[in-house]
This record gives sequence, C-alpha cells and structure tokens, in this order.
Amino acid sequence: MDSARVDTRRPPPPTNRQLIPLKILVAGGFGAGKTTFVGAVSEIPPLTTEQHLTALSIGVDDTAAVPDKTTTTVAMDFGRITVDQQLILYLFGTPGQSRFWFMWDELARGAVGAVVLVDLRRIDDCFPAVDYFEDRRLPFVVAANAFPGTDVVPDRAVREALALPGGCPLVRMDARDPRSCTDALVALVEHALARSTG
Amino acid sequence: MTLDDHQHRDRVVPVYAFTGGRTRTVGQELPLEAVVTATELFAAFGGSLQAESRAIIEMCSGPKSLVEIGAALRVPVGVARVLVGDLANTGYLEVHLPRTAAGDGGPGHAILGRLLDGLRSR
Repeated sequence: MDSARVDTRRPPPPTNRQLIPLKILVAGGFGAGKTTFVGAVSEIPPLTTEQHLTALSIGVDDTAAVPDKTTTTVAMDFGRITVDQQLILYLFGTPGQSRFWFMWDELARGAVGAVVLVDLRRIDDCFPAVDYFEDRRLPFVVAANAFPGTDVVPDRAVREALALPGGCPLVRMDARDPRSCTDALVALVEHALARSTG
Repeated sequence: MTLDDHQHRDRVVPVYAFTGGRTRTVGQELPLEAVVTATELFAAFGGSLQAESRAIIEMCSGPKSLVEIGAALRVPVGVARVLVGDLANTGYLEVHLPRTAAGDGGPGHAILGRLLDGLRSR
C-alpha cells in the first residue's frame, strides 16, 4: 500500500504533551455487529476510511480476486475513545471479506488485541477471525452478540464449536449497548494485560 | 465493503494531484493510528500552503489520527499519509507514534494498565 515516511532525524517541534495512540480491532463475520459496536462506544461519529488496493499491497495470489487493482478501494469503519490525557484508543472494524485479509496484518501490528463478534446463529462466520488472531498470537476475546434466540446456546457449546483455548475469554454482550461494548473492551484489555510480557 | 464511485463524485481535483503524483515521502512509515497535532509554525509560515495542507493543519488543532484525516478529507489513507508525512517533515505537524514494548510488539504492561483503568472508569 501507499507509504509515507517521516524523517525522525529532525528535532521534534515543541509540544504541549506527548500522546499515545492505541488500537483495538473489532472483527467477526458479515452482519455480526462490527459497525454497531464501533458506533456504540466511539466519541466521534463512526467514520469510514478508504484503503486503495495497489500492486504493492496485494500478494500475487490475490490479484485474481481483485482484477482492477488500481481502482478497488476497501472501506473500513473506525471510532475513537479518548482514554485519558495521553491515551487515545482507536477501534477498527476489520473488513470482513477474506480477500482483504492482507490488510489485517497492518491493522494487527502493535494492536492491543481484538474483539471477535459472533452471531451464534452463524457461528462458522467467525472461524477465520479466530484462526487469524490465534496464529498471530494477538490477544482476543470472543463476544457473543445478543441476537434473538442466541441466549440459549451454552458457553460450553460455543467454546467447543470454536475450539477456544481455555484462557480465551468468552463474553455475552449487546453491541447496541455502549456499556456492554465497554465491558467487552475491558475483558479484552484484562486478557491482554495478563498475557503481556513487556 | 467496496466503495461506490458516487462517494468520489464531488471530488473535483484528482486524488493524485494532492500529492504531486507521489505515493511516498521519506522517513519512517506512519501507522494508521498515528496521531498528529499542529505546531505553531503554521501561524508564522503557513500562508503559502496548498488548501489540503491548510485543512489538515487546521483540523489538527486537536489530536487527529491518520485515518481521521483521510476520512475528513475524503481521500484514501495512503494519500493522507503522504500529505501528513510532508507536513511533519517540514515541521507543521507533530507526530505521536504508538509505543510498542520489546517483548510481544504490543503496547506493554504499563500502558495496558492505564488503558484498563481508563476504560473501567467510563
């Protein structure tokens, strides 16, 4: 993808305070509630940004899936939470289609972790996200979004269906409810903190 | 999601014109969540800057990330990255990069702890 660089050799200009950006990914299958989640907790109206797909950003194997590589764009939802005077947390709704997964690597780099939203009526849809974060060893929580009829599925069945490791949190939540989304973020950060080495 | 062309119809100037056709500038690559803030340089020397650069500096009177700037200008992140990189290199913007701990590439224990406190108190 297009890439800009900042010359770090020049002395930094004067500033009032040093800020620290952080990011959390919100992943899951199509229609699992990613956009709703980001909108519920963001302090700014959720925005959509574009990433151009270019020859630099897609692997050779992906070009067949993206025939017109110079004009294809991917939209990505994001929101912001100002945590304190210094920390600014960005939430990124990851593009759902598997052909855009090359983008996840950039999104996942340096991330706190991921919330994987699951619609228990279509549990298979979140397999790719769970696999991806397990492979990259990025901390994640599985958040079962409260769709009608899904509260009868026991946690044990969800864990078994997703082959979740014992330490991976599973939370029940409602992506329309800001409190519930914040609780899911707290569960993720607790998990990330427990696993943190640095 | 793939964007439809209608989102670009009111963009009169082609995107590449903003950057003089460039897709890169020099120095360190800026991540999507890199936050920038305006410096005081604009007040003194900003008069000759092009409209897009002025718009970026003005919106960065408060902290803004690369993705927010791209969305506000309705340009792809790659274009915002070039414009922001140039303005940072010339001193109009200060860049605040994410901090990564040596161990796992994540933000590290201390910052995660502060994030947890901040989220719990919401």
